[in-house]
Amino acid sequence: MTDMNKQTINFTLNGKPVSAEIEIHWTLVDLLQRGFDLYGARQSCGQGLCGCCTVVFNDKPVSGCLTLAALVDGGTISTIENGEEELDPVQEAFIEAGAFQCGFCTPGFVLMTRELIAQNPDPSEEDIRVFLTGNLCRCGTYPQIIEAVKTAAARMRTTAHVPV
Amino acid sequence: MTPFEIAMPTSLREATGLLDPEDPTIRVMSGGTALMLMMKTDVFHPTRLISLRKIEETASQMGLLPDGRFRIGGMCTLAQMEHNDDLAAFAPVIRQTMRMLANVRVRNVATIGGALSHGDPHMDLPPVLVALDAIAVTEGPEGSREIPVAELHAGYYETVLNGDELIREVIIPAQDARRMTYLKCTTRAVKDWPALGVALTGVFEGDTLEDPRLVIGSVAETPIRVDEAETVIKGRSLTDKVIREAGEAASANVETIPDELGSAAYKSQLVRVYVERALRAVANQTV
Ligand SMILES: Cc1cc2nc3c(=O)[nH]c(=O)nc-3n(C[C@H](O)[C@H](O)[C@H](O)COP(=O)(O)OP(=O)(O)OC[C@H]3O[C@@H](n4cnc5c(N)ncnc54)[C@H](O)[C@@H]3O)c2cc1C
Ligand code: FES
Ligand code: FES
Repeated sequence: MTDMNKQTINFTLNGKPVSAEIEIHWTLVDLLQRGFDLYGARQSCGQGLCGCCTVVFNDKPVSGCLTLAALVDGGTISTIENGEEELDPVQEAFIEAGAFQCGFCTPGFVLMTRELIAQNPDPSEEDIRVFLTGNLCRCGTYPQIIEAVKTAAARMRTTAHVPV
Repeated sequence: MTPFEIAMPTSLREATGLLDPEDPTIRVMSGGTALMLMMKTDVFHPTRLISLRKIEETASQMGLLPDGRFRIGGMCTLAQMEHNDDLAAFAPVIRQTMRMLANVRVRNVATIGGALSHGDPHMDLPPVLVALDAIAVTEGPEGSREIPVAELHAGYYETVLNGDELIREVIIPAQDARRMTYLKCTTRAVKDWPALGVALTGVFEGDTLEDPRLVIGSVAETPIRVDEAETVIKGRSLTDKVIREAGEAASANVETIPDELGSAAYKSQLVRVYVERALRAVANQTV
C-alpha cells in the first residue's frame, strides 16, 4: 500500500542527481535538512521576509520556506554547501569585512549577493540596499555587509577581465 | 497536517478541468507565495493543489501584440515583468512598481495571475493595472472571458472569477503618450505590503491633464477609482490649488477601512497627501 502522504522525487542537488522520499507538506528547507543533512538554508521567519532559507532553484534564488519540496521534482537545486572547499570572493569578502556575528543569516546573504553581482557587476550602495531588502540580519551587521558586497563586486570585476 | 495531492497538468485547459467550483479545498498554485502563507497559518487546508508550473510555455511569455497592445501570460513572474525592457518602454510604471514590491525571491516566483487572483486588498499590482486600463483574459470550461481588471475584485479576498476559471493572460492597451506613476506608503518596513498605494495615469495636452485615471489601493476592500478627484483635475492645468483640491476630494470621497497598517483617519490623511504627490510626480515627468 502506498502512503498518500509520501512521494519520491528526483532532482539535481549541488550538481549531482539525487532522489528523496518526502512528505507531501515538506518545504524545500525540510527536504534539505531531513533528506540530506544540509543545514545552510534554515527557516527563521517562515514567511518569505528574511532570506535565511535562500536556495537557488532552477538558477533563481527563492525562499525555501515558501517552496513545496514536491515541486522540486525534475529541477535543479544549488545551496550554500555547493562548490569547492575553497571560498569564493563573496565569502572571502564577508569574512574580511566581519559581515556577521552569529552567522545565521549569512548563507542567504552570500547567495543573494552572488545573484546581485551576476545581474549588476557594479552595484551602488542604493542598488545593494534595494536588492537585499528581503534579507534580515538580527545581529545588525548591515554596514559590514554592504562593505563586503562592494569589495566582492570590485574584485570580481577585476578578475572577470583576466583570461583563464 | 492532512495529506493532499499535487497535480501537474501540462495545459491550462487540463488545469481548469481539475478544479471543482463546489470545492474550495482544490486550488491552483502558481508561484505559491500567497498560498504557502495561507497553508502555514492554517487558513487554507488543501485536498488538492494544481501546480501551473508545467503548463504551456505561452503562459510565461509576454510581448507587444501586432495591434499595439501588450500581452502578459498569466504565469509570467513579477521578476520577468520587472526585467522586460519592452514592457518597461511600454508602461514604465510597472518596473517602478516592481522595485518596491516584496523582495527579489518573492518576485522570482510570484506570478501576475496569482497577484490578481489572490484578492488581498494590500497589493501593489491591482491598482496599477486598473490605472493602465488592463484586461484579464480568463479560461474556464465555458470558454474565455475578458474582464477589465477594474471589475475583477469583488471584496476582501474575493474576485469575480468562477471557481473553475483561471487567468490566462493580461492585456494592456496602448498607452501612447500617457504619463504614469505609482506611489506606495508602507508603515512598518520599506518594502512591506502597502498601507496605501496611489496609481495615476493621464494624458497631458499642453499643461492640462486629460483622461486621468486615479486609483487607490490598500485602503478599502478593493482598489478604488476616485471619480470625484478625477473630475477636479480633468482638463485643468495642475496648479498648486488644483492639486490641493484633488487631494481633498480624494480624501473626502474614499471610504477608508482601518487595518493593522493604520487607522481609517490616518489612511484618509495618507490618501490626501499621496494623491497630491502623485499629481506633482506626473506634472513634473518629462516624456
Ligand atoms: C514576503 C512577502 C512579501 C510580499 N510583499 C508584497 C508587497 O509588498 N506588495 C504586494 O503587492 N504583494 C506582496 N506580497 C504578495 C505577493 O505579491 C503575492 O503572494 C503573489 O503575487 C501571489 O502570486 P503567486 O503566483 O505566488 O500566487 P499563488 O500563491 O500561487 O496563488 C495565489 C492565489 O491565486 C490563485 N491563482 C494563482 N494563479 C492563478 C491564475 N493564473 N488564475 C486564477 N487564479 C490563480 C491561487 O489559487 C491562489 O488562490 C508579498 C508576499 C510575500 C510572501
Ligand atoms: S525563513 Fe524563509 S524567508 Fe525567512
Ligand atoms: S549575523 Fe546574526 S543574524 Fe546576521
